[in-house]
Amino acid sequence: MSITRRVFLRNSALAVVGTSAIPSFLTRAALGAAEAGTRNQRLVVIFQRGAADGLNIVVPHGEQAYYAMRPGINIPRSSVLDLDGLFGLHPALESLQPIWKQRQLAIVHAAGSPDPTRSHFDAQDFMESGTPGLKATDDGWLNRSLHSLPIESNQSVFRAIALGASLPRILCGREPAVAISSINDFGVGGRSPDAAPLANTFEAMYANSVDSVLHGTGQETFEAVRMLKSADPAKYKPAPGANYPRGRFGDSLKQLAQLMKANLGVQVAFADIGGWDHHVNEGNTQGQLANVLREFGQSLSAFWTDLGDLGEETVVVTMSEFGRTARENGNRGTDHGHANAMFVMGGPVKGGKVYGRWPGLEQSQLHEGRDLALTTDFRRVVGEIVFSHLKNRSLETVFPSFDSDPGKFLHLLA
Amino acid sequence: MSRRVEKATLALCFAVALSVQLAAGKKPKHEPSAAGMEERKRALHVLNRLAFGPRPGDLERIRAVGVDKWIDQQLHPEKIEDHALESRLAPFRTLRMETREIVQNFPPPQVIKAVAEGKRPLPSDPAQRAVYKAQLERYEENQERKQEAANTDPPSTQTDSKDKLSDEKLARRREDRLYADLKAEQMLDLPPDQRMKEILRMSPEDQHVLATSLKGDKRQEFMEGMDPKQRETIMALEHPQQVVADELLQSKLLRAIYSERQLDEVMTDFWFNHFNVFIGKGADRYLLTSYERDVIRPHALGKFEDLLVATAQSPAMLFYLDNWLSVGPDSDFANGIRRPSGYARHPRYRRPAAQQGKGKRGGLNENYGRELMELHTLGVNGGYTQKDVTEVARVFTGWTLKQPKQGGGFTFEERMHEPGEKIVLGHRIRPNGEKEGLAVLHLLAHHPSTAKFICTKLALRFFSDNPPPALVDKMARTFLKKDGDIREVLATLFYSPEFWSPDAYRAKVKTPLEFVVSAARASGAEIEDALPLARQLQALGMPLYGMQPPTGYSVKSDAWVNSSALLGRMNFALSLTAGKMKGVQVDPDRFIAASNTPPDAQATLALLETVLLAGDVSKQTHDTIAAQLEDPKISQRKLEDARRAPNVSLIAGLLLGSPEFQRR
Repeated sequence: MSITRRVFLRNSALAVVGTSAIPSFLTRAALGAAEAGTRNQRLVVIFQRGAADGLNIVVPHGEQAYYAMRPGINIPRSSVLDLDGLFGLHPALESLQPIWKQRQLAIVHAAGSPDPTRSHFDAQDFMESGTPGLKATDDGWLNRSLHSLPIESNQSVFRAIALGASLPRILCGREPAVAISSINDFGVGGRSPDAAPLANTFEAMYANSVDSVLHGTGQETFEAVRMLKSADPAKYKPAPGANYPRGRFGDSLKQLAQLMKANLGVQVAFADIGGWDHHVNEGNTQGQLANVLREFGQSLSAFWTDLGDLGEETVVVTMSEFGRTARENGNRGTDHGHANAMFVMGGPVKGGKVYGRWPGLEQSQLHEGRDLALTTDFRRVVGEIVFSHLKNRSLETVFPSFDSDPGKFLHLLA
Repeated sequence: MSRRVEKATLALCFAVALSVQLAAGKKPKHEPSAAGMEERKRALHVLNRLAFGPRPGDLERIRAVGVDKWIDQQLHPEKIEDHALESRLAPFRTLRMETREIVQNFPPPQVIKAVAEGKRPLPSDPAQRAVYKAQLERYEENQERKQEAANTDPPSTQTDSKDKLSDEKLARRREDRLYADLKAEQMLDLPPDQRMKEILRMSPEDQHVLATSLKGDKRQEFMEGMDPKQRETIMALEHPQQVVADELLQSKLLRAIYSERQLDEVMTDFWFNHFNVFIGKGADRYLLTSYERDVIRPHALGKFEDLLVATAQSPAMLFYLDNWLSVGPDSDFANGIRRPSGYARHPRYRRPAAQQGKGKRGGLNENYGRELMELHTLGVNGGYTQKDVTEVARVFTGWTLKQPKQGGGFTFEERMHEPGEKIVLGHRIRPNGEKEGLAVLHLLAHHPSTAKFICTKLALRFFSDNPPPALVDKMARTFLKKDGDIREVLATLFYSPEFWSPDAYRAKVKTPLEFVVSAARASGAEIEDALPLARQLQALGMPLYGMQPPTGYSVKSDAWVNSSALLGRMNFALSLTAGKMKGVQVDPDRFIAASNTPPDAQATLALLETVLLAGDVSKQTHDTIAAQLEDPKISQRKLEDARRAPNVSLIAGLLLGSPEFQRR
C-alpha cells in the first residue's frame, strides 16, 4: 500500500514541480484532479489541555446552585451571553455567538470521559486513545477513525495532520500522520542552493535505514515536504475578516486553514491549546480563564471565517480531559473535576442548541458530591461525527468495547 | 584564558585517536556486533547513557581509565575536578545569588510596583538604581497606557483609539531611538568603564531607550570589554528578569556540554524533569536558579527522601503547585481567628478575597497533594484514592512561603494548618503540625509503589523504552533495602548484565536536549553564547524549564519521533556544522587538519564517521552519503579542486542528521 502511495506522490509532485509560474488556481486544480475521488469530509479535533472549566465556559446561569457554589468566580447573569435561558456563553466567547446564531455551532454539556481519574496525564491519554480506563491501547482514535475507510491509491500524507512540534497520542497508529509546527520551516536546508541534494541525501538515508522507528517517520516526512513544496500553502492568506489572535493556537488554526485551502487532502486534523488549569485566581468575566477563552473563541471564529466554503464539509469538535470542581476552592480557583462541555461546529452541524441531558448541580446530583456528573460519553459525540460525517461505519474498531449504536446518537449532524 | 590550550589538546586527542585507529587498520564497522559488547562499544554505551554523548577523544580517555572505573568515578562526582566548566560559568553572577539577592538585583514587576507606590526604597547602588529607574519608567508608561485605554470606553473601538493615541508617541519614540542609536555609536569610542559611567549618568528615560535600542550584535559590541556586572546591568535595563532566566539557560547547556561530572548533570536534569517546575509561572521566574542549585543538584545522587523533602519545602514547588495558598478549612486562619498583635497577616489574604463561603478565608488546594502522589512518588497506579489526595492536601496546609514576591523562603504557618487527625493510605497521621507533612513524605518515600515508579523511570532514561520487569524489580529491591539511595540504585542498573546486553546498545532515541547537546559535544563546539542552542530546543518542542504541566517531558521515544522534529534535527545538524549558529563555533575542518587525511571525499567521510559516530555507522547511511559524494552538486564548490578537502561541514551535518546520531 505504501508503495502505491509513494509512487503516486512522486508522480503528482513531479507533475507540479517547477510550475511556480502557473497561476495558483491551476496548480490547485491539478492537485485536485489528482485527488479525484478523495472524499472531502474533514474532521478537526481541538484539545483544551489542562482541564477547562466547562461550568464557567458554558454557564448554567439558570441554576441557583451554580451561583451558590461559586461566590467569587461566577459569571453574573447580566454578563453571560444567553443561549437558551438555562445556559449562556462566557462573555469572552463573544466571537462564537454569531456562529451559534447561524446554527452552525452546537454544544454538548456534561460530556466527557467516563473514567474517574483526575490525573491530567491519564485523562488526556484516555481521551486520545479512545479507550478510557484501558492503558494498553497503543494508538489513538483519530488515527483509527481512518482505518476502515476505503483505501484509495492516492491518499495524501496530509490526510492526518497535527499542528505542533510533536505527534499527539490521538493520531498515533497505523495510518501515516504528520506533525507540522510551521509550514514555512517544513523542509531541509532552507532556501540555500545546496538544499535539494541535501534533502535527497537525508531522504535516502532514512528510506534505507533499518531503524524501524525512524525509517517510517522519515519516509512520511519527505513525502510531506515534497507535497508541501508543490502546493505552497503559504500563499493562501487568511480570508477577509478572519482575524486570528496572536498566539500558538491562532497560528495553528491559521496554518491548518492554509493546508486545507491548498487542497492537500487533509481529512483529519488536530490542534491543541493549553493554559486551562486554574487552581488559583481563575477570574470571572475577566481574568485568567477569560483571557485564554478569548484566544480560544477568536481563533475558532477566525478559522471558521477563513474556511469559507470549505466549512460546508468540515466539522470541528473540542474536548478537554475533565471538568473542574463545581465549587470554587480556597484560592478562587477550581480543582480537578469530572464532566465538561464540548463544542461542535461545522457545515453539517445542527447548531444553536445545547445537547445532552443536564444532570443538575444540587448536592445529590453531583459526581462524588463535588463535580458535574457525566451524562454523555465523549465517544457518543465524536462517534456520530466519525460515522455520519467521515462515513466510517466500523465504529467498533474506532471505539472498541464501547456501545456505539447509531440509535443512541445525539443527532448533532444533519 | 586556556581556550587555545584546550583546542590544541583536543586536536591532539584526535590525532592520537585516529592514528591508533588507522594503525590498527580498523575501518568503521558496518555490521552490528554479535552477542555482548566489546570494549569500544562499552565505552560508547556509557558515554551515551551516563553522559550526554562523547566529545572528541572521550572514547579513548575512558578506555584508558577502564569503563568500570569511569562509571565509579561518575557515581562520585564530588571527586571530579571541573575547573574548565567553573570558569565558563563564572561570568553568570545570578547562579551564585540567593533568591533575595536576585530579586533585589533584577527586580520583578511587583518590586517595581512597590517602589512606584513608595512601599520600597530605591536601591543605593548606582547600577541597581539605574535598572530600577529604567523599569519605573516603563511601569509608569504602562500605567499611562492603561489609563488611556480605560478612558476610551467601548471595548470594540479600543484598538482604534489606541492606535490614534500612539501615533504622535510613535513619532516621538522613533526620534528618541534615532538619537539613542547615535549616542550608542558615540559611546562605543569610550573605554568600557567610561561607557558605563556615561550610561549611569543618563536620565532613566534615555537609559530605557538606549537599552531597548541595543539589539543582537550591536549589544554585544556595546558590552565588549565590560565586566560581568556591567554587562548584566546593561541587559537588565531592558528586562531584568530575562537576565536571570538567560543565565540559567546558559548554565544548563554549558554544564551539559562541558561538565566532567556528566552523570551528575544527567541526574540533575532527570530530577528536575521529575519534579518539574515551569519557569513561566509567576515567582518561579526567579525561583528556579535556587531550585536547581540548592534543591535538585545536591541530592541528585543522594537519598530519595531528602530530595523529596527538599522539593516539598522549596519555594519553587510550593509556588508552582499552589500549596503555599492551601488553607485548612478549619484552621484558625480560615475561621478568622487573629493572632496576638504584632503578627503580620499573610499578604495573600489582605485583599477582600475573604468574603467567600460562610465568611471563611481560603481553603484547601489539592494541586500539590495529587501531584505529590501521582508524579513524584507512587505513580498514578500506586494505590491511592481521591480521599487520600484530600487527606494529603490537609496534611500540607500551612506549608507556605514568607513573602514569595520578595524571594522569601519556606515557612510552616500553624494558623493555616488544618487541625485534627488525617488518614493517608490507611496510616493514621496524628496531629503534629509541620511534622505531619514530614511523616507523609517519609511514608511515600519508602513505599514499594514509589520504589517501582522511580526505578521504572530511571530504567526508561538509562536503559530502554521497555525495561524488563526483572531489571526494574532488581533496582526497586536496592531502592527499598538501601533507604532510597539513588547512587546504589544506579549502580545496580549499571552493573547489571541487562545493561550490557546488545539490545541495549543505541536502544534509545535521543530527546531534543540529548540530541542538541550531544551534537555540540561530538563536533567539539566552542560555545560563547548558548542561547541560540536554547532557542533550537524550543523549536524542537523541548524548551528548557519550559514544560508547563507538572508531568515533565517524556523520557520515551515516541514523543520525540515525528516529521516536524526530524526535519528540525536535520536542519539543526546542518546549520551547526556550517557554523551558522551565532555564538557557537564549530569547525569540522580542524578534524581533517589534525589528521593526515588526504583531501578526498571518501577519506573525509570515513574520518568524520569515526569522529562523530565513533565509527559505528550503518552500511546504509555510509553508502548513501558516499554515493552522494560522487555527485558534484553536494559539494560543488570545492570538489572540483582536487587539492582541497571536500565540503567537510556538509558531510558532518549529514552525519549528525543521520538516523544513527538520533540514537544513544
